[in-house]
Amino acid sequence: MIFFAQLRGELRKLFSKPRTWIGYGAFLAMEVLILFVYKLDRAQANMRGTLEQNGLQFDTYYSSLTITFTIMLLSMFVLGSIFFALVAGDIVAKENEDGNLRLIFARPITRLRLLFVKYVAACLYTMSFVFFVGISGYLMAVAAVGWDGGLFVLEPKMKVFAAYPLWFEGASRLALGALGISLSMLTITSIAFMFSCFKMKPAAATIITLSILFVDMIVQNFPFFRPYESWFITWRMSAWVFLMETHIPWAKILEAFAFLGGLNATVFIIGWLAFQSRDFKT
Amino acid sequence: MEQSMLEIKDLWKSFNGLPALQGVSFKVAKGEIYGLLGHNGAGKSTTLGIILGMVAAGSGEVLIDGVSVQQDRAKALRKVGAIFEAPAFYDYLSGWNNLKILVGYSGRFDEQSAREVVERVGLSDRIHSKVRTYSHGMRQRLALAQALLPEPEILLLDEPTDGLDPEGIKWFREFILDLRRQRGITVLFNSHLLAEVEQMCDRIAILQGGKRVFEGPIKGLEDGHTRFLIDVAPVDKALEVIATHGGYMESPEIAHIPCAVDPAAVVRDMVLAGIAVKSFHAQHRSLEDLYMEIKLESQLIRTP
Repeated sequence: MIFFAQLRGELRKLFSKPRTWIGYGAFLAMEVLILFVYKLDRAQANMRGTLEQNGLQFDTYYSSLTITFTIMLLSMFVLGSIFFALVAGDIVAKENEDGNLRLIFARPITRLRLLFVKYVAACLYTMSFVFFVGISGYLMAVAAVGWDGGLFVLEPKMKVFAAYPLWFEGASRLALGALGISLSMLTITSIAFMFSCFKMKPAAATIITLSILFVDMIVQNFPFFRPYESWFITWRMSAWVFLMETHIPWAKILEAFAFLGGLNATVFIIGWLAFQSRDFKT
Repeated sequence: MEQSMLEIKDLWKSFNGLPALQGVSFKVAKGEIYGLLGHNGAGKSTTLGIILGMVAAGSGEVLIDGVSVQQDRAKALRKVGAIFEAPAFYDYLSGWNNLKILVGYSGRFDEQSAREVVERVGLSDRIHSKVRTYSHGMRQRLALAQALLPEPEILLLDEPTDGLDPEGIKWFREFILDLRRQRGITVLFNSHLLAEVEQMCDRIAILQGGKRVFEGPIKGLEDGHTRFLIDVAPVDKALEVIATHGGYMESPEIAHIPCAVDPAAVVRDMVLAGIAVKSFHAQHRSLEDLYMEIKLESQLIRTP
């Protein structure tokens, strides 16, 4: 019970900060932009070409589900990672910088428990944010092109191609995909959280996290590293897209999520050890 | 001494090789108001940090009501409330929500008790306003409210009156003294405002360069003796009379006479001994006098 009260307190703090809501605003703006692009004749012609080359009907797959999938695929890794790193990078470091931790440290709570409550709050923010993007993107797409239609999935890098002509089938896959993205994004949150526990400014925790991810993504694309791409963090984070395949490769997906889960646990422990060994002078 | 509410045992700490605390020890009895004095960098805040487990002690131990902070910090701090100079709240939340969040780290938030404490610190009409709209005095009241929830047995006050106006300081002092009278609460008062310490504390310790250079009761600053400014002749005969009463002379003009001795009796004996007594005035030795003397002594010791 006390844990949930403490978690509620953390969430109250998190969602009362204006900067937490910046991400929501930015995503809504981006969704409007993507919808605008989708409504352009040239974009529609491109999509028609892609679908018809694959023997699929434009009228079935030019739909709110397909647009929502595109929004999530395009936006989440690049724009989403910035906001997840920003919020998780702030969650401990900013409280230390502002001096809030002093009042918390006068309380009978262990540092491990304090970090765990904050970590769970950051994870809930991350997951709820992904679903917010999915739901708001879908509602906007419905307003633009109507609710009906199937789901078309094309992700060349991970070599995923699938088509679900029925709305219900497409919608359930999209929901499953959103769950997969939200779990993948926890890795960004976890890395930023770890740096937030170190003795550094909140902005430094955010920037270092993003640098690691972008370097990982760039190096992964070097020809020399291609055979080892599945060992890169960002490749594992993209494995959620396999959930969109007609026959879901569960072994591959579970392996990727086990890797990410292990990484998340490791960085949390490193962050805790760093936090535990720090002196916080009044 | 009664059972200790707070016991500091031989604390040592250094930062980057520079000693911050060098074997500091003291005990605070239940219901006592204990002042910790010292200049900036003397080790007061480090001591407080170690008491709260914010700073790891190099060696030594802190016991709060018999529970070691080093061994079981969470259990030891259950009886503690703390206030810091310029307390940092979540400015974007109301005072009430700040209380909810902070008290939540100690356990269940009891709305009824919180309302009573808020009423007591005089914040009822502004408790639902955002903290960013609070004055410094209101923030200190909120800090006091959070420190009193849930019912601590010891309060750690780190420069709590810094930046307050004279009315605010008086209100704060009277509030703490009332708390002690009504609830027998123990207080560790960390400050460099000597007048405040003198008015509030039962005993004090003075830290200098990470060492405890003085510990004693405020009421016994004269070390059991009262200082008298005297003008007598002949001085050597006066010294003999003073010595028969257990006193001594610091200089031809200053005599120290045990507090238990009636000074009128000393004067009478001097007159009977044929000594001319032109003046004989008691001189109160303030905490400031003591503090400056100790500081001067320490500087003399350090200077070869």
